Amino acid sequence: MGQQARMIEFSGVNKWFGPLHVLQDISLTVGKGEVVVVCGPSGSGKSTLIRCVNGLEPFEKGRLVVDGTDLSNRRALRALRMEVGFVFQSFNLYPHKTALENVTLAPIHVRGLSRAEAEARGRALLEKVGLGDRMGNYPHQLSGGQQQRVAIARSLCMQPKVMLFDEPTSALDPEMINEVLDVMVGLAREGMTMMVVTHEMGFARKVADRVIFMDHGAIVETAPPETFFTAPVHARTRDFLGKILHH
Amino acid sequence: MFWFYAERILGYWPVLLKGLGMTLGLSLLSLLIGAAIGFAFGIIRAGGNRWLSRALGIYIDLFRGTPFLVQVFIVFFILPAAGIELSAFAAGVVALSNLAACFIGEIVAAGLKAVPQGQREAALASGMTPAQQMRLVLMPQALRIVTPSLVGQFVLLIKDSSVVSAIGLLDLTRAGWMIVQSVPQGLMVFGTVGLGYFLICYPLIHLSRRLERRGQDALL
Ligand SMILES: Nc1ncnc2c1ncn2[C@@H]1O[C@H](COP(=O)(O)OP(=O)(O)OP(=O)(O)O)[C@@H](O)[C@H]1O
Ligand SMILES: [Mg+2]
Repeated sequence: MGQQARMIEFSGVNKWFGPLHVLQDISLTVGKGEVVVVCGPSGSGKSTLIRCVNGLEPFEKGRLVVDGTDLSNRRALRALRMEVGFVFQSFNLYPHKTALENVTLAPIHVRGLSRAEAEARGRALLEKVGLGDRMGNYPHQLSGGQQQRVAIARSLCMQPKVMLFDEPTSALDPEMINEVLDVMVGLAREGMTMMVVTHEMGFARKVADRVIFMDHGAIVETAPPETFFTAPVHARTRDFLGKILHH
Repeated sequence: MFWFYAERILGYWPVLLKGLGMTLGLSLLSLLIGAAIGFAFGIIRAGGNRWLSRALGIYIDLFRGTPFLVQVFIVFFILPAAGIELSAFAAGVVALSNLAACFIGEIVAAGLKAVPQGQREAALASGMTPAQQMRLVLMPQALRIVTPSLVGQFVLLIKDSSVVSAIGLLDLTRAGWMIVQSVPQGLMVFGTVGLGYFLICYPLIHLSRRLERRGQDALL
């Protein structure tokens, strides 16, 4: 991979929560336009891993470079966060703002767009995620699936270079999962660089370039989806796949 | 008999009006100053700097845990010994603003702490500065939660202001003391004074209740 093509580069990253070694020697490179799916049992450190990428979690040892910015440079963090979208499991929409206001808030105040520009961009994105008729609604007036689509549009409105997703569909009722996954598949096909923590293996099969399996804070296995699902090398991966694919 | 005294009390209307004006002015001015400082207190108390927050917590508890009358005396009688000479009005405003700031600070801090952590994270992840996170995301939500309590606090402030009559300010309570010298009908005189306070406070109590109901609807 050439120097320009690297978007996220972990080298020997270690993190502790007190005595708990939550990230152990993580080395991982995500190229521009690549889609990486991260899976693993609860508590294995998946959230912590992607939260490091936009500096939501600090780490003690190692190096992490995102879009050319070294994360140890805390002063560059804010500028970096403008380029990295983050979608949370629990949506975290601003309850006191309408869907459109949620989407335009950061572009106006952080990017410095005019209200008109931001709204034009925001409207287009809400249309794109299928919520053209919901712009004036407050989050509590929307279903979970709709809220998560607004949250994705909110991140996209900053025109980020990387999108991070932390279990974006696991708080949703089953019938709403696909409407969110469809948006994410579209995004992946447009060439967005994505790191996605999810157990939706259908999504991984469709668009992932690589699937990563984590356990106890370490990356156990990394493989393209075909290999990952049909011929996993490690027993722990097989074990895990057995558990999640059988229901 | 009743009407006789009632007329005499109302004959003192200029004093009563002046007292009412003083009570209102003192309360309003102290509310404005106290709110400005109180919001800053609240942000510090709910903020990340543990030592600053703790130190401020002790300061606030000190004033929440001592009688207001004592605080007024300290400002008015003891500060001059340290070379800070204040008029009775200034001393009243200082003591009352400080008390208001302490209570408002704790209310605002509670509101900020009640905003889910995910809200700050979402704002942070979008590249907002700490000030923007506070102004655009956290404070508006905290305000929604605490507005009824803040209005309720204003009611307490108006009532607490009666204590400053002890250092000679002609507020509504002191007007009562003056009138009762020549109209020896304590019940009627202070009934009138009480009515004055009630007339100011009742709309606020009402407002607080309405906001509380609306808040519950909005937080669905
Ligand atoms: N702020 C924290 N303080 C202490 N321990 C934490 C903290 N956050 C997470 N942990 C612990 O670190 C470990 C990894 O947590 P993490 O949230 O990254 O796991 P995860 O793989 O995302 O799990 P899940 O699938 O349940 O979301 C867990 O054991 C968790 O209890
Ligand atoms: Mg997680």
